[in-house]
Amino acid sequence: MSKHVLLNSVEHLDLKVITARGAEFGDNVWFTPTFPLEFRSVQAHYPIFFHKDAATGQFFSVAVFGFTHHENLFLHDDNWRGYYVPLTLRRQPFLIGKQVVREDGTEQTQSVIHLDLDSPRVSKAQGEALFLPLGGSSPYLDEVSSMLKTIHLGLQDNAAFVALLLEHKLLESFTLDIQLDDGSKHQMIGFYTINEDTLAALPTDVLGQLHAKGYLQAIYMLIASQANVRTLLKLKNQLNASAAA
Amino acid sequence: MDTVIKHIVIVGGGTAGWLTAAILAADHNTDNGQLLNTGALHITLVESPDVATIGVGEGTWPSMRNTLQRIGISEAEFITQCDASFKQGSQFNNWRNNSGDSYIHPFSLPAGMPDFNICPYWLPFKQQVSFADAVNAQARLSLAGLAPKQISTAEYSFINNYGYHLDAGKFSSLLQQHATRVLGVNYVRAHIADITNTVQGDIAAIITKDGAAITADLFIDCSGTASLLLGRHLAVPFVPQKQVLFNDSAIAVQVPYQQPDEAIASCTQSSAQPVGWIWDIGLQSRRGVGQVYSSAHCDDKQAEQQLRRYLQQSGILDTDQLTLRKLSFTPGHYARCWQNNCVAIGMAAGFIEPLEASALTLVEWSAKYVSAQLPLPASLVSISAARMNQAFSQHWQQIIEFLKLHYVLSKRSDHDYWHDHRESSGIPSALQNLLQLWQHKVPSAHDVTHSDVLFPAASYQYILYGMGFETRGYPELKPTLQKKAHGLFEENAKRIQQLAAALPGNRQLLDKIRQYGLPPI
Repeated sequence: MSKHVLLNSVEHLDLKVITARGAEFGDNVWFTPTFPLEFRSVQAHYPIFFHKDAATGQFFSVAVFGFTHHENLFLHDDNWRGYYVPLTLRRQPFLIGKQVVREDGTEQTQSVIHLDLDSPRVSKAQGEALFLPLGGSSPYLDEVSSMLKTIHLGLQDNAAFVALLLEHKLLESFTLDIQLDDGSKHQMIGFYTINEDTLAALPTDVLGQLHAKGYLQAIYMLIASQANVRTLLKLKNQLNASAAA
Repeated sequence: MDTVIKHIVIVGGGTAGWLTAAILAADHNTDNGQLLNTGALHITLVESPDVATIGVGEGTWPSMRNTLQRIGISEAEFITQCDASFKQGSQFNNWRNNSGDSYIHPFSLPAGMPDFNICPYWLPFKQQVSFADAVNAQARLSLAGLAPKQISTAEYSFINNYGYHLDAGKFSSLLQQHATRVLGVNYVRAHIADITNTVQGDIAAIITKDGAAITADLFIDCSGTASLLLGRHLAVPFVPQKQVLFNDSAIAVQVPYQQPDEAIASCTQSSAQPVGWIWDIGLQSRRGVGQVYSSAHCDDKQAEQQLRRYLQQSGILDTDQLTLRKLSFTPGHYARCWQNNCVAIGMAAGFIEPLEASALTLVEWSAKYVSAQLPLPASLVSISAARMNQAFSQHWQQIIEFLKLHYVLSKRSDHDYWHDHRESSGIPSALQNLLQLWQHKVPSAHDVTHSDVLFPAASYQYILYGMGFETRGYPELKPTLQKKAHGLFEENAKRIQQLAAALPGNRQLLDKIRQYGLPPI
């Protein structure tokens, strides 16, 4: 379970956060949300697809790490294989919250940092300090703060991106059929990607509109990222081979 | 020269008129949701500002999903604007023998249907499990108040088949908005004072109160029970059905929920009464309840008492504050729905009590039938008309027989009403013959002979065995098919369990749809 609280320098002065990667810290995820602002880094290593959030039915862009639940093929010996770690994982155990404050008599919503106190990353003994001994936030916390801002903007931008894709019928569902070296066959369903036929037939004014927002580049990075399914396959085969050995 | 039907005038702006306008316009004047410059039809809907629409008819069949998608309305917009909820079937309470009995006629087909008739393989187990629960998950899940889909299920797609409960007035407004703003339908508010003919006896024009003549190649009469064009002007004979289905009156009432988060029922509740039955439909913000009855068997006051008693039993302590609305109708239909250059759709073509909510379905069926005839050269109108008249006579006949079946199977004896329903003089002979057959074999596709059928064999099975009908002649049960059936029974039991854990409640999902919409794919 999780216990989200508003981060403050009094109660949480002594807390530290473990930044190592590992299944015990909840990194054994099949996929994690990403967004166009981050695609350039993500597409270098992972396939990017779309997935519907079960709670809202909304489409998210996701970086995919495996073929099934709790399978993250990039976690190895409790280490991430040296690649870029998407922000929505790196932000753990922090998340962005909303707070209503009264300023000059009017109510305003402010973004604030929340912390999941039940996260195994939260420690008193080891990890990165959140606050400096004499007060003020640590460089690590400053980094977290800017990361959360990027995620917040990135997810908003992703929603606009998805809305445009849906408007122009550029999303389609697909089934990924894979065959492993041991001959076993697997099927991955529930993901969506760019419909390349629709893309190829888009009128130039729509292309211009997508380009102006930077989404045309995002679309092509998405398509290119599909090649990383091979990386997943390679890692899965290696894993199976070492388990068999 | 043979002219092709181009100008269409629809008379009447209730749900029937706007649905018809939207279906014709979407089919012939749009491509991929976009209005064509070269649309084949010129459609005008004329609505009298003086005549109020009836505004009942709050249940649809699953076909409405296809219809809404076809005319290009997003499901989330429809659900939000029409106070709509999911309808997964009808639940019949106290129809069997007034002993607290209840069964569901769900929208989903039995497992294996239509290729494999599983029904005979259920007969040996009828003491252990109801037919509906043995062959399908929907009855159990809808009884538990669970929605037919999840928030991540694409719009108009389903996990269990569904139609809607909706606010008829709001639905009509949404259709009007969509038809006029998106689909290019012309809208004229005018009272019709007169109708003129051509020398051949076709309708030439309708004349408005201020003297304007509106001409068309084809007139569609959606004027409701007035049946201005088909019944009154063209004098097509009316075929009364009161001798079979006695109900000719209704008292309708809108009831608020007692709690804002009260569960929303997923089936239309139909509760048999000493005379007639009461419908109970749960929308998002209120319930719609109504007593349907036969004026020959009880007076309005008795009917009202039945309704008030029902409301009190369902937790409405103070029924005096509610506004009751009395409606009368003549059960029956016109001998032909298409005469000369005029087609009647909706109540202008006929009306039978709403026991299986077939009214809006007939509107959809009719509008789609007409749409499929177009574009139509004037010289071929009589051929299309004859074919449609034949098809819809069969539809009416089936509706009448299928509704009558509900009454004939009842063992209620608390009022003459029920005895009279079981009098053989009022039972159509085709139905009498089938009932004899069904004592020896279960209903199959061969018993429902015409095409594009409203009620498939499965519907007869759900009603017969829901009502405890005895089919005695056990058929030969082939071992391989027995095995297949048992596999399907087991799969269904598993599916019930899995879906019970995975599906949200109706209200929970409707609230989410208002917040997030539904994904288009």
